[in-house]
Amino acid sequence: MTKTVTIYIDDKTYEVPAGTNLVDVAKFYADNDIPVFCYHPKMKPVGMCRMCLVEMGSVQKDRETGAVLLDDQGKPQVRWMPKLQTACTTTVSDGLVVRSNTPQVDSARENVVEFLLTSHPLDCPVCDKGGECPLQNLTMAHGSGSSRMNYADKMHLDKHVPLGDLIFLDEERCIQCARCVRFQDEVVGDPVLQFHERGRNLQIVTVSEPGFDTYFSGNTTDICPVGALTTADFRFGARPWELTNVPSICPHCPVGCNTSLSTRLDRDFGGRALIKRVMPRQNEEVNEIWICDKGRFGHHFSRSEERLMSPMLRNASGNLARTTWQEAYKLAAEKVKAAAGSVAVIAGAGLTNEDLWALRRLVGESVRLGAWTPAQTGADLVAQVGVGSGTNLTALKSGDAVLVIASDLEEEAPVWRLRLKQAADRGVYLVVANARPTRLADFAKETITYGTGEAAHVMHELRTRFPQIAEKLAGAANLIILTGAEGLTLEGSRALNQAAANFLIESGHVGKANNGLIAALPGANAMGLHYLGFTPEAAADIVNTPPKVLILAGADVAADDPNAAAWLSKVETLITIGLFLDGASERAQLALPMQSFAERDGTFTNGERRVQRFYTAQGPMGMALPAWQIAARIAEGVTGEHPKTSAGAVMLDIAKNVPAFAGARYTELAKVERQFPDVGGQDLYYGGNAYKNTGGLGVQIPSAAEGGEVKTAPVTLPPLVSASGQNLVVVPTTELYNRARDFRASEAELMTPRVPAAYVAMHAVDAKRLGIADGDLVAVDAGSGRLVRSHVRLDGGAPEGTLLLPRHLTDTPAPLSITQGKVEKLRELVVEG
Amino acid sequence: MAEKQYPNIIYREKDVPDIRRYEVYAAHDGYAAFKKALGMEPKAVIEEVKASNLRGRGGAGFSAGMKWSFIPQSEPVKYVVVNADESETGTFKDRQIMENNPHQLIEGALICAWAIQAKAVYIYLRGEYMDVAAQLDERIAEAYANGWLGKNIQGSGWSCDMFTHLGAGAYICGEESALLESLEGKLGQPRVRPPFPAQKGGGLYGEPTVVNNVETLANVPWIMRNGAAEYKKIGTEGSTGTKVFCLSGHVAKPGNYELPFGVTIRELIYEFGGGISGGRQIKGLLPSGGSGPVIRFDGNDDPRLDTPMTYEDFQKLGSILGSASFIVMDETVDMAWVASRITKFFKHESCGKCTPCREGTYWLDKTLDRIMDGTARPGDVDLINNVARNMQGMTLCALGDFAANPILHTIKNFPEDFKARMGAGD
Amino acid sequence: MLAEKYADRIQKVFAKYPDKRSAVMPMLYIAQEEYGWVSPEGLREVAEICELDPTQVKSIAGFYTMYSEQPKGKYWLQVCTDLACALRGADEFSGQLKETLGVDDGGTTADGMFTVEHVMCLGACDRAPMLQCNFHFHENLDMDKMNALIAQWRAEAGK
Ligand SMILES: Cc1cc2nc3c(=O)[nH]c(=O)nc-3n(C[C@H](O)[C@H](O)[C@H](O)COP(=O)(O)O)c2cc1C
Ligand code: SF4
Ligand code: FES
Repeated sequence: MTKTVTIYIDDKTYEVPAGTNLVDVAKFYADNDIPVFCYHPKMKPVGMCRMCLVEMGSVQKDRETGAVLLDDQGKPQVRWMPKLQTACTTTVSDGLVVRSNTPQVDSARENVVEFLLTSHPLDCPVCDKGGECPLQNLTMAHGSGSSRMNYADKMHLDKHVPLGDLIFLDEERCIQCARCVRFQDEVVGDPVLQFHERGRNLQIVTVSEPGFDTYFSGNTTDICPVGALTTADFRFGARPWELTNVPSICPHCPVGCNTSLSTRLDRDFGGRALIKRVMPRQNEEVNEIWICDKGRFGHHFSRSEERLMSPMLRNASGNLARTTWQEAYKLAAEKVKAAAGSVAVIAGAGLTNEDLWALRRLVGESVRLGAWTPAQTGADLVAQVGVGSGTNLTALKSGDAVLVIASDLEEEAPVWRLRLKQAADRGVYLVVANARPTRLADFAKETITYGTGEAAHVMHELRTRFPQIAEKLAGAANLIILTGAEGLTLEGSRALNQAAANFLIESGHVGKANNGLIAALPGANAMGLHYLGFTPEAAADIVNTPPKVLILAGADVAADDPNAAAWLSKVETLITIGLFLDGASERAQLALPMQSFAERDGTFTNGERRVQRFYTAQGPMGMALPAWQIAARIAEGVTGEHPKTSAGAVMLDIAKNVPAFAGARYTELAKVERQFPDVGGQDLYYGGNAYKNTGGLGVQIPSAAEGGEVKTAPVTLPPLVSASGQNLVVVPTTELYNRARDFRASEAELMTPRVPAAYVAMHAVDAKRLGIADGDLVAVDAGSGRLVRSHVRLDGGAPEGTLLLPRHLTDTPAPLSITQGKVEKLRELVVEG
Repeated sequence: MAEKQYPNIIYREKDVPDIRRYEVYAAHDGYAAFKKALGMEPKAVIEEVKASNLRGRGGAGFSAGMKWSFIPQSEPVKYVVVNADESETGTFKDRQIMENNPHQLIEGALICAWAIQAKAVYIYLRGEYMDVAAQLDERIAEAYANGWLGKNIQGSGWSCDMFTHLGAGAYICGEESALLESLEGKLGQPRVRPPFPAQKGGGLYGEPTVVNNVETLANVPWIMRNGAAEYKKIGTEGSTGTKVFCLSGHVAKPGNYELPFGVTIRELIYEFGGGISGGRQIKGLLPSGGSGPVIRFDGNDDPRLDTPMTYEDFQKLGSILGSASFIVMDETVDMAWVASRITKFFKHESCGKCTPCREGTYWLDKTLDRIMDGTARPGDVDLINNVARNMQGMTLCALGDFAANPILHTIKNFPEDFKARMGAGD
Repeated sequence: MLAEKYADRIQKVFAKYPDKRSAVMPMLYIAQEEYGWVSPEGLREVAEICELDPTQVKSIAGFYTMYSEQPKGKYWLQVCTDLACALRGADEFSGQLKETLGVDDGGTTADGMFTVEHVMCLGACDRAPMLQCNFHFHENLDMDKMNALIAQWRAEAGK
């Protein structure tokens, strides 16, 4: 139990947790909204804006007995401080007395608002923040209603200062609260925003290269208490009161950030609902109130003109031509039936639990169900020893430990990286292990650098190879191990996760909150794939011995696997279900259009095994349907079973049949509890905009370890891939912004300039030996017969003997996993204009 | 009239040629006080300074010994920071102390460092004192060379370093927490307190730290040598010892004068300072540079000129003694102009961190400009008065109060000067 | 490159502090000395030396008045016109100086020799009028003394 203290706010008594902030506590326990501008519950108080001034004192106690001294009216005697005090810089202590409703406090608030408005442009009618502006609201609540400032004396400043590609600053509106500056410094660890000059000339600047360009920049626009920071995406896009906020889940990575899609019925979208912006939605255990810029700005793919709009059937002349859904269902059902069991499905990690269930029902449980996370596994072990229910990275503190191994978390799961940076600041023993430097390592207490591909070996032999680190990890009060698959094959990934699971089991860090395994598997629903019976091992088997009928659902195999053409050609009937026509559709009999997360209801199971629900936000695109519906309608032709009428009904079915989902009916997923700190209410000034969670906090599937004993298992270490002769070790890596189809379609709008130019990173020593210089154009031959053409970067952190080849930056896929390869310099084609 | 002779502490060796050099200082019992302190328990040193009732000369007048005693001895790393930022309008005493008798300061700082068992002393000088800092560096080097600094000082087993650090033009860095931020390479803006500098988490690099003014520490060697009892014989009961008064403005002989507390204002201005220049009448006195309330005097015969100069007596005058930077203004001075000038100073020096000070100084300045150039609107005097009041007590550091003071007190004490500018109507 | 050219001085500065960040102010002085002002390249070099983000260094350079983010004249004259000096004729002195050199407040002479600006109290109120030239004090001035100084500086610069 946390210690509590007794405090008094406006003559009422409250028992509150010791060591908490007065503003947070007053709001949560006393329903008292102390107005703030600079204070933000997610950052350290700075006491700058002076809006939160209150009367403060302390109850007098008898020195000997500790009993509260009473006055003649029987009330506690209070020693008042002579001046008003800032609530935001006050940590509650026993006997604290606060008055927030006296004339003195009212007048102080009125004065601060008046001061702030002396240089504010009062351009609310044309301001993006108008209607959801803390300054506007607090002016209504506490302001005097008229200004005594001579209007001609106001400062005139630049109103359109780009701080980077995505964020604009209006200098006139800025009230110097430093929330954005502190966010970049404290929360992100990238201090690219600072104050310049001083006094009334204080302004936000950046001179960093690139400018304000982190993966988290958009969050500053939410916490900015005025309309000073706006996003290039939403600027002048709509007025807040026209928007409907639909709860959603970000589809891009395993974190599963809770979002709100702000939509509007839009003329430019045929009068249908259109996403105008993506905002974070509070879920303290998942993303707190943050999202990354990919989640915020990468929504445009959902209404890309490249989307597949109708079912396509390969005609007699061998081309895909439009067809009707009836035809498509009929044909698909016939093919499945005729295959007499030689049917398989490969599903991507972007499909929902409902989609996966419907696909499994379509082909029957005995067939092979492949999970398209082709080079990474471990979901089964996460189900065993994954982090316990109630895990919250924010709860980790000094004495706890986290090991991140073989993952570049900044690129693979940005919000986890954000939260772990702060955990390290709180004193958590953060160890980052990789063969190369990664961003998170900048914040680590300890880094382990191992030879390329050695992750599983290091994890398995941690106690002998890094005894001191292993001892600290094993001895931590709470321990989480977070695995990636960088530099590993599928077998290596299995070994790494098993070794990690063994370590956790042996050191007793399983089966309870804030302890256990997390696998940074790609996609939003890799854990759902596992729980619904889809495995990467099965996918590998399907690739090796293809079935007669293969259904590819939400799996762009041709973009991921350089060998895809070869194995796809062995399939008799290929059916693709996807957002786009892709490399596999080129060989498909049927290419069927599915809906994106924005157009439909559904659920994802995130990396921490939380089943989370999202809701229909955007109008439909063409004839596209949810994948579960497509599967169910085909199944109807196979088994005669009537399709369910809604995603919720599908989940009900899952809940009945799959024990992991027993508690995950939609009504359960939609439940919301009050969270601390309590952001997202009408008092936008406290936390920022639109964090309100109305869609539900989701339900976490308990790990097996929570139910009982789990056992270690032997680790089979696969042979290491090493450089030999002219061959280097090619390691595919992940870039957050890339040219994968679902993100590429967002490019046109905003993201194009932010996707890195195709590159391959190599070590200077190798480059010199091979006669290659920084910036040279090279071809990488990793054995698939397809060459990846890229420019060389020597500053990309590649260890000697290693080529780092980012996935999805060129049209030719990088290899699926670590392998040997050659690199050769190409002559640049100079095109004469 | 020949001025009276008073005992000097800070300037006791002002007539010794080259006292700034180590050999000369050493020959005049230099470092004997430190040596004595090294022979005492650190705690006893603190007790002695506490007993002397030496009060901080940086402005607030807080007991130095008391401040030292707040340092938690259990913390392994502690610091002493010497505040040589001296940027208050009308203040120029610390510079002279550092120029004329630098070893006295070094020795005083060292005694303090021993008393709290500090790891290092940083002397933060305002950037404009670049030349002073260069000289001070040479003097510190002499102290190292003679075994008063460095490892295992005088065989005590205690090691301590001393460094100078230059500011770069920011009055706010005289405020102790802003100074610490600045020294850490951050923006020179005041910190939230608590924790205070003496506490863990509040000082330099988060370690417990004593911040004292140059003049405060320059008193310490004398106290160590002669004892608290002797020290208390000088000055008054509440304000012990001497004070260096910076005299500037409309006086015949501006300059620094070290006098015991309790000497009257009249004696300082008319005897030491040679009286008001040109034989004119005194009108006002700013006793603590731009930051303290202005005192009204109705000519050279005003009996309040006989007030003794102590912390207590100046409160009775409705002002503060503060840093004792006396800016004297004669009858020709327009107090609205004074208010406007001082406001420009604070507008320029507001760090911008907190709303009332940042916006208030800007607003006051704009409105005073109009008052000065004759375009004021009726009610503007009331307005600035009210704006200043709204700044008072509302800010993170005292600069906000300092900026409000000139408005509130010039209007209160010299209403006629504002009336004259507002024309008949107001 | 500052890091090479001033390697010794930089090492001495680093030796003073437990962390590199504290060295940012001394480094900015070095950059200003080298380039005549805190130029963008100087700023970047300081950031690298102190292992800070360039924006952090920019922030420090902008906060303090002794760092100039614009090029200045060869002789940067800062005249104190704060209250105590103003009471002793600093405004008139400053006006005459600007007239003599033919510049407005903050302006630089056409030959790039002199920048004149007024500043707040420099801590020499008893010796007004006074100014600092490239951070060295000149006190108890009048226009005769000033003209002599100007002539001397012109001679030094060969103009
Ligand atoms: C705005 C402001 C400016 C200050 N400037 C100075 C200064 O230049 N020199 C100084 O010694 N104290 C200055 N102080 C006081 C310091 O904060 C601090 O109280 C002092 O250094 C403590 O030393 P002392 O106890 O020896 O006086 C200033 C305070 C404020 C609020
Ligand atoms: S009162 Fe002024 S100088 Fe002090 S912290 Fe606030 S803004 Fe800065
Ligand atoms: S000062 Fe407390 S919220 Fe800004």
